[in-house]
Amino acid sequence: MESFFTRYRSLVVLLAFLMVQIMGLAVQVRRTPGGHRTIDSADPAAVRLIRLWAESLVSPSEKLVQYSKLGVAGLWQNYIDLRHVRQQNKDLEQTIDRLRLEQASLLEDARQGERLQALLDFQHRYIYSTLAAQAIGSSGSDQSRVFYLDKGSNYGLQPDMAVISADGIVGKVRDVFPRTAQVLLINDQTSGAGVILETTRIRGILTGNASGQLEIVGILKDERIKPGEKVFTAGGDLVFPRGLPVGQVEKVVPDPDRDAFIDIIVKPYAHLDRLDEVLVITDTQPRFSPQDEQDLATSEAVKGAEADAIKEQLKASQINAEHLPGLIDPSLPPEQQPLLDSSNPNPVAHPPQPLHPDRFTPLEQAPSEPSAPAGQNKNPQQSPKPAAPQRNP
Amino acid sequence: MPSMSMLGPDTRRQLEIRHYPLLVYVLVPLASLVLQAWLPRVVSPYDFFDLPLVVTVYFALGRPSPVQGTVMGAAMGLFEDALSHHAIGINGIAKTTAGFLAASLGIRIDVENQTIRLVLIFVLSLLSSSLFVFIYRFLLGLDLEWRWQTELFRAVGNSLIALVLFPLLDRLQIRD
Repeated sequence: MESFFTRYRSLVVLLAFLMVQIMGLAVQVRRTPGGHRTIDSADPAAVRLIRLWAESLVSPSEKLVQYSKLGVAGLWQNYIDLRHVRQQNKDLEQTIDRLRLEQASLLEDARQGERLQALLDFQHRYIYSTLAAQAIGSSGSDQSRVFYLDKGSNYGLQPDMAVISADGIVGKVRDVFPRTAQVLLINDQTSGAGVILETTRIRGILTGNASGQLEIVGILKDERIKPGEKVFTAGGDLVFPRGLPVGQVEKVVPDPDRDAFIDIIVKPYAHLDRLDEVLVITDTQPRFSPQDEQDLATSEAVKGAEADAIKEQLKASQINAEHLPGLIDPSLPPEQQPLLDSSNPNPVAHPPQPLHPDRFTPLEQAPSEPSAPAGQNKNPQQSPKPAAPQRNP
Repeated sequence: MPSMSMLGPDTRRQLEIRHYPLLVYVLVPLASLVLQAWLPRVVSPYDFFDLPLVVTVYFALGRPSPVQGTVMGAAMGLFEDALSHHAIGINGIAKTTAGFLAASLGIRIDVENQTIRLVLIFVLSLLSSSLFVFIYRFLLGLDLEWRWQTELFRAVGNSLIALVLFPLLDRLQIRD
């Protein structure tokens, strides 16, 4: 027996390693009620511990590499850009003033929208608080499109928070560690997000394919879907707030498995493979900062004066309308309408009648004599629109 | 002095075993894992390489002990799995097998020959990818789309990296 293990020591060690790992895999995979097998989105404690160790070992080096890269790039860019920074600062200050007013106006609209949605019992979520984070590393595998952020639970990050960039949505937080967090990109095969097409209003589920492209799957054939149409989040997946830009339709391909369905390939707005700075949406509950409140007050002051002026104008026009005779009075029968009143000092002008009936003249009016009201010039030569000439001499 | 062909397997193995400073055994695998996690963000979409596999095969060939190759492959694979979001053990099994085979072949073939090493890394890359897909789709029964062209490109990429990396790592070995 001893000689067997000595002789086949290498094979025994190999089999032992393989068996342990296969058993480890078995406890991580479970069968869904639908019969499919899947990996738990929440890792078991032992698996999470292994991930934490691996991440703790790798992330300091990744941070060092990433920050060094950013430092060198930033030093160079800042030196070059300093030449124009004064003018840019001036322009930006003007832009900020303008944007503050616009923001205040939008906040007002957002408040109104929330009130209306609450009335309709149809709650959508808006972005109210974000946290900037730096992407420091990835899984290194194209079968697992995840990347790591330099902030974790110490900064209040939690699983299933949406991650966006200035261009569009990026992914969602999958796993959170004290100092880092793992983000699942939207172009991963296991990812999913509810989206809606801008013009056709078709809803679907956005996921990734083997090539790392975004695709909306399981859509019924529709000729209206054209390349270039914009795609936004639909807000029904409890991760991404509604209305965030996703990308635009690149092409439409037939579903390989089902005849009546198509897949829509979407080109993302966000550069998913070159991410540096991202924003994590940490709060979607309504909460205005003191600055927002101040901007809102400024907006109300500015808009209030405009609104008062408009109200005054409306009031004046209503007073004038009350003093002037109307053309149609709903309280009177048709034959007594002011329009037909011959005592009216300002009668309605009718168009002049043609001298000779022609093919453009309505038949029932052609034989009748024109009943030009008082003050109407009967001379056809002076009429603004002379009758069309007859075709026959 | 007897020629290499006249030596027994054990004697030849002793002669061909390469020794490196302990720091190399720690830092090179760690660096490969860090770079594998960082570089795809810089060179994407041309990230057709698997640095941990290249390093595993290199050390397995350099110290032709199947047990050490197995341990090295398992450690690197499990590490990669831990950094991804899929089940831990898929890459582990693939790279355990690759490390074992590389070390087993290292006993029987001339590992000083650069061409042989490149062919070996190409074949083992394809084997590792095949095992990954096999475990994911058939052993675990999970949905996975994959493209064979990508795996072929990755095998070529690994060979090209090995072409540069292996001579560099050779310089780090301790020579008596």
